[in-house]
Formats: sequence, C-alpha cells, structure tokens
Amino acid sequence: MTLAALAGRIRAGELSPREAVAESLQRIERLNGALNAFLSVRAEEALAEAEALERAPSRGPLYGVPVAVKDVIDVAGERTTAASRILADNVATADAAAVERLRKAGAVVVGKLNTHEFAFAATTTSPHFGPARNPWDTERICGGSSGGSGAAAAAGLVPGNLGTDTAGSIRIPACLCGVTGLRPSTGRVPNRGVVPVSWSLDTVGPLARTAEDCALLLQAIAGHDPADPSTAATPVPDYGRELAGGVSGLRVGVVSHLLEGAIDRRVAAAVEEAVGVLAASGAKVERVDASFLRDSHVVTQLVMLPEAAAAHLEWLRTRLGDYGTDVRARLLAGLLLPATAAVTGQRARRRLFDEARALFDRFDLLAAPELPVTAPRIGEDTVDAGGSRLPYRLALIPYNSPWACLGLPAASVPCGLVDGLPVGLALVGRRFAEATVLRAAHAFQQVTDWHERRPPVAV
Amino acid sequence: MQHSPVPSLDELRALARLQGVDPTDEDLVAVTGFLATILPALAGLEARLGPDAAPALFLPEPDGE
Repeated sequence: MTLAALAGRIRAGELSPREAVAESLQRIERLNGALNAFLSVRAEEALAEAEALERAPSRGPLYGVPVAVKDVIDVAGERTTAASRILADNVATADAAAVERLRKAGAVVVGKLNTHEFAFAATTTSPHFGPARNPWDTERICGGSSGGSGAAAAAGLVPGNLGTDTAGSIRIPACLCGVTGLRPSTGRVPNRGVVPVSWSLDTVGPLARTAEDCALLLQAIAGHDPADPSTAATPVPDYGRELAGGVSGLRVGVVSHLLEGAIDRRVAAAVEEAVGVLAASGAKVERVDASFLRDSHVVTQLVMLPEAAAAHLEWLRTRLGDYGTDVRARLLAGLLLPATAAVTGQRARRRLFDEARALFDRFDLLAAPELPVTAPRIGEDTVDAGGSRLPYRLALIPYNSPWACLGLPAASVPCGLVDGLPVGLALVGRRFAEATVLRAAHAFQQVTDWHERRPPVAV
Repeated sequence: MQHSPVPSLDELRALARLQGVDPTDEDLVAVTGFLATILPALAGLEARLGPDAAPALFLPEPDGE
C-alpha cells in the first residue's frame, strides 16, 4: 500500500495508528533478517506513540503513518550510529529538525535505517553493521548511501522514509531498489540533527513508492528553520495540489551525453522509452547538449572531500583505525588535497551555476538515466557499462554529481526492469522547483506501472 | 601545467602529520589511488578557469520559481 493510501485509510478510521504501526513492525520482524535494512527498531516506543496519537486532539497529514529515518538522522533517545564503529554508542539527545516535523505531521518513527558508513559512499556495505540487501535480489547491493531506505521502501517495511543525499545517496538506492526518491534542493530541508558529510551538498529527502508519497513527506519536512542557517527562506508550495498539473507543455531537455558511452544499452533504451511516455503525455521533449556538466564530476569531489575531512578531522586524529578502509581512504584524500583544490572547486562551481541557469531558461525539466547500470552483486567492485568495465563508483559519478553540485531538486523514478532489476529515470528541476519535478514524476506514474512492481521478497 | 604528480608516500605522511593525523602506508597507498584521478582533473580545471572566475557562495543562492 502506498503512503498516501495508508494515510487515507487511517484518516477514514479503517485502520488505527496502532494497527498501522503494528503491521509495519510485523513486516520488519519478518523481512529484516534477509534485508538488513533496519539497524534499530523502536517497537515499544512506536506502539506507545501511536496509542498516544489516538488520544491526541489534532491530526496531522501523516497521522498514524509509520515511517523510518536513515541512521544519520537523530531521533531523541535513540542511537545514531551512522553505521560506524565511532558512533556505535552515540545516543541522540534531541530529534533532528526533519524528525520534529515528521512527528508534528503525525508520523510515527519505527526505526533507523542502514547506511554506508558515515553516508560516505554508495554501496551500504558497512564493515561494522553488514550490508543492506536488495529486495529484488538479496545477493546484490541496494546502492547508497541510503541503502536501508531503498530496501525498506521497496519491501514495504514502511510506506515511506527519509534518507540523505550528498552526491546521489537518495537517488542511487531509489533507482537500484525500484522506488521513488527525491533529492530536494540544497537548503530546502533542514540538516539540523544530521551527521554531516559535506555541508554545502548535504540534504535530507524522502524515499517511497510514488511521487505522491514523496510529496506528502516533503510537505512535512520542507521549509526554513531559524535554527539552521543552511536552510533557505524560500516559500514552500502545496506539493500535493501541484501534483495534478500534468506535463502538457512542459519543456523537457534530455541530457544527450548521459545516454551515450558508458551505459548499459538496455538501461538507456528503458530511459528513452520513459522519455517517450512524457512526450506522449504532452511534454515538449528535445535532446540537449549539456556536456559542460562533465566538469561537475571533479568539482563535486573537490568540494565534498575536503568538507568531509574537515567534518571528521578530530576523529581522523584520534580514531583513524576505527573507520572502514574505503571511508578512511576517501577522508584522507580530502585531508591531503591541496588547500587550493576546494577553492578551485567552488570557482568552477560558480561557472556551472551560470551555465545551468542558462540551460533552465530553455527547459523546465531535465531528464536522464538515473544510473547507467542495475544493481551489482555485493562485493563486486566493477560494473559492465555499455561494454566498458568500470569501477562502480566511477560509473555512477557522472549521473549523480551534476545535480548535487548545482543544488537542484532531482528525483529517481522507476521506469523499467533489466534482467529483473530496476532502472530509474532522473527528473531534474530548477532550484526550489521540487513541485515541477514531483508533478512530472506523478504524471509519469499515472500512465505507467513500474512503481507498482514489487520485488519477490515483498510479495 | 596540465598535470600534477601525486606526492610520494613520505610526502603524504608528512602532510598528514602536520594536521595531527598518522596514517599507515596501506592507508596512503589507497589515497594515492584517489589522488591519481583527482589531481590531473584539478590541474585541467585550473587551466580552464580564467583569473576572473570567482568562487561560489558556500551555498548556491535561491533563484527558483
């Protein structure tokens, strides 16, 4: 059941909050052993909170809906481990801003979701807490870093959840697990109470089955937070109301270079077909040369790596041996880049902003493959992308870093299956135009059923 | 200059220690893998950016709809 449908049933009195939460907990109990999507489950607390909600006079839009959050997002009284040894016993003293807002909307947090260690890579294979497993094939990764979020949404353990995205960490697992995920514009959702990776790239965002579900979750968490200087004071529209707008007349630019080269041709074909669906629904679709975005790959690294090293500096000095080898190497790379690298990255980033702004004078949306490949096997470091054998990490960077680097809202929407594994369509909007992205994703999901396909483990 | 050579392990270790961090040789070998990709790309970027290219703000400013 979608989050929107579940919320509707609870609102109609067909299901109580306690029953909804209990059902989610039972599903977690049954499936989490196979998936390792949850690192911790707060069963007693969640049931008690659901019962308390039933006695409360006011009912928010997410009244009684069970949700979960990635384990880099604080929930008061619960551990925030970031799937790390360093924070293994770290208990949060307060809710993150996004959790405060979920609760205010009536949602019940049932647990914390697996992540790549410190949300700092895209496989969710923590050496300390074990890999999250893909519900479509449990021998494969979920992507990451919000891998537990992707698995939990795909297997229906919760109808929706929150992940975080620095350079693809919501969209990659959404794509590989066959669910809808939205990276909001940087600054749209508060990061207060979230373990940082890179302050100028990080954002919290939703993963769920549908764009409508993501709209509901985003509505609850979006908006300026006076206690968080990273948030923008830009007004938040009514995302639900704007969903119905359709794509007729929307100008959609299809990013040509991302459909060529190092991409599985079957993935490219599925995305081309999805773009054709948008065109048939009334969008004005044309190919666009956006090859200037190629610089964003290195720019993102130049910005992210030193910021992450700065965030971790004290632990690099005192707990270096407690990091997993991959995260340790990346943090050290950030530490050892020349000081000018971060400045050069920000200078090049400015140029990219200007070029992207000109591009969005011509288009309302950009479309591209979310990823060039389907989910690799756990432990498989390289992927076959259109005949090129590439390191998994390098194959992904061109598809995710541009939108993060530019701070743009970007969704991954299920648009096909290749060898029984999900493929995603990326839809990217102007800064703070999440409503347009969600509207196009919703329109696509009104005429396709890829988002309704369920992995074998979830049936 | 179009190419920045990756520093030696001893040079990297000295840079790390200046910042109070003490990596192993194995750590530093892994770092050189990253730097071998990033440093040439950085050099290329520096060469393409003109002197008037100012940096972005810490966060991009709002300009959406």
